[in-house]
Amino acid sequence: MSKEQFTIPIGPQHPALKEPGHFTLTVDGEVVTGASVRLGYAHRGIEKAVESRNWVQDLYLLERICGICSHIHATAYCLGVEKLAGVTAPPRAQAIRVLVAELERIHSHLLWLGVAAHQAGFDTLFMYSWRDRETVMEVLEQLTGNRVNYSANLLGGVKFDVDTRVLETILSGLDFLETRTHHYLDIVSGDRIFLQRTRGIGMMTSEQAERLGVTGPTARASGVRRDIRVDAPYAAYDRYPIQVVVETTGDLEARFIVRLKELLETYHLIRTLLDGLPEGDLKTRMPRRIAAGETISRVEAPRGELFYFIKSDGGDQPARIKVRTPTLSNMASVTQLAVGHQLADMPMLLTGIDPCFSCNDRLTTVQTSGESETWTWEKLRQYGIASYRERG
Amino acid sequence: MLASLFALLIFPAGLFVLVNGLAYHWIDRKLVARLQNRVGPRWFQPAADMVKLLANEEVLPTGVDARLFTALPVVALAGALAAMIYLPIAGLPPLYNFPGDLIVAVYLLSLLTLCTGLAGAISKDRFSIIGATRALTQLFSYEAPFLLALLGPAFAAGSWQINEIMAYTSSQWLILTQPVGFVVALIGLMGKLEMAPFDTPEAETEIVAGAMTEYSGRGLALFLLGREVELVGGLTLIAAFYLGGINNPFDYALKTLVLLLGVAGVQTLMTRLRIDQVVGLWWRYGALLALGQWLLLLGQRMGT
Repeated sequence: MSKEQFTIPIGPQHPALKEPGHFTLTVDGEVVTGASVRLGYAHRGIEKAVESRNWVQDLYLLERICGICSHIHATAYCLGVEKLAGVTAPPRAQAIRVLVAELERIHSHLLWLGVAAHQAGFDTLFMYSWRDRETVMEVLEQLTGNRVNYSANLLGGVKFDVDTRVLETILSGLDFLETRTHHYLDIVSGDRIFLQRTRGIGMMTSEQAERLGVTGPTARASGVRRDIRVDAPYAAYDRYPIQVVVETTGDLEARFIVRLKELLETYHLIRTLLDGLPEGDLKTRMPRRIAAGETISRVEAPRGELFYFIKSDGGDQPARIKVRTPTLSNMASVTQLAVGHQLADMPMLLTGIDPCFSCNDRLTTVQTSGESETWTWEKLRQYGIASYRERG
Repeated sequence: MLASLFALLIFPAGLFVLVNGLAYHWIDRKLVARLQNRVGPRWFQPAADMVKLLANEEVLPTGVDARLFTALPVVALAGALAAMIYLPIAGLPPLYNFPGDLIVAVYLLSLLTLCTGLAGAISKDRFSIIGATRALTQLFSYEAPFLLALLGPAFAAGSWQINEIMAYTSSQWLILTQPVGFVVALIGLMGKLEMAPFDTPEAETEIVAGAMTEYSGRGLALFLLGREVELVGGLTLIAAFYLGGINNPFDYALKTLVLLLGVAGVQTLMTRLRIDQVVGLWWRYGALLALGQWLLLLGQRMGT
């Protein structure tokens, strides 16, 4: 008698997933023997939509790709378009871009900490970290007027300045968050029961990380020293260098520690930045039409490397924009690492890469048997009618 | 006749236990919420949930035995309620007693978990089946230590009858002489009630609602009520055995609430354990510690 395979579907709707995605897990008892992923439930056609809007309108659309790291999308886009147009934003504008990006990183990492703790069933850490996250949300609101989708960027600069009142809020907020982050670092590396769920779970060696093309904190937790802010500094990161946080163990615990230590690094960066904020204009003139050409723009989003390909044919609308978010690069690691782990570790393994499904859903690939065939419109229509009739 | 019907259905068993269960459930939720820096539910929330669930449609999933599916929640609640007549609810002496009623009460309290496991096992849903497997695995790991922990006081009192044990514990606080038993019993109760960190059988981020996934409306309401009744029963039993007995209603409220505070604290402090960790914890530490204390008591008994 052949052994029947017991598969567990996780998603598209499942309490562990805050966004739609589908994972099929094959289990033997509690142990996972196989995993596959299907993405694309939240495809919104943004890449196509930007081609029918002008360069300025696209900024608002692209900022809405991600609800958590919205600013970094706009920054990547602005930097790319500015490069195409041969314009450089003034230093103060670049510094403010970095400031908002780093505040966004704080909010994103604290959010992740809470979600990851919840997946492990440690709701107390979840509640406390989200309470503390409100500090940075309020800072962002005071700075930009919005808690998410700050709309800080303009093509050729930024929209607002940092005044002394906001400066004080940021600094006092950072002091509070720094003590809290040290506290959380103690918890994730010292709470024995929590460590039972993270230490040695989801081990990924640096070779594996390289082979799977993992980016961001997930890669840095496996000993891969890779950070766009240092490797290819953009905006004002050449003026405000950061220390790359790397852990070598490569398990879930390391992913917690890397993200929390990055927070400490970020606090330090924001303090130096606010200390020496360059004076000057906030924006320069941008042409309405962008010179023909193509470029790539890479930035370090909270989840890893965010990649933009921008192509212009000389008009006031882009010819093509391609976005690759870090979640897509990291997703392969989940299905690879899942095998051999317990079912109970799956939510944490998935959360370990800090997935953002809606951001990475670009297009649906249909697998064919290899033979291709061109259908006429009429044939497609008939196929549709027949297919729906069959379903009843 | 009328008086015993009243005692069985209204007070102290029956309706009173249900109301008491809802109240304690609220206190537990509120305490956990406050410890987690949340506001927490309003006082009538568990009752409102119950009313809503009872009014909801009960969906009968395809592929299950309809009779068993509807009967299991009833049996679970009935079992938990039946255990109450042997316990000193509200600080009054137990309604009925006979030699050995402790064992009967403990097994009636286990009926809920057995029913939960069965309810998941008869379902075709994959989350339910895994939930059921985990619930039963967990049952086998905490049940023996829990029973051993309750037998400690019985052993000290030299009786397996709840009111006789209480007569003995009223004069002394066994938590001082048998601290291990107290801890094992309290943690065992949390395992029984599938409270965090022992909520593996219904870990929502993994298996949705575990064995309860397919239940809705009345069936779910009865299961939840059963669990609330069991919370009251378990706390009463532990308070009566380890915290100097329960002699009056004031005693009852104070001692069970102190225990509830402890339970809420443990719920707040811990990360959910994996099922293999639960089994490991109970058999490697819980059972051995309880057994060790039991042997110690035995030795003491032989010595005197």
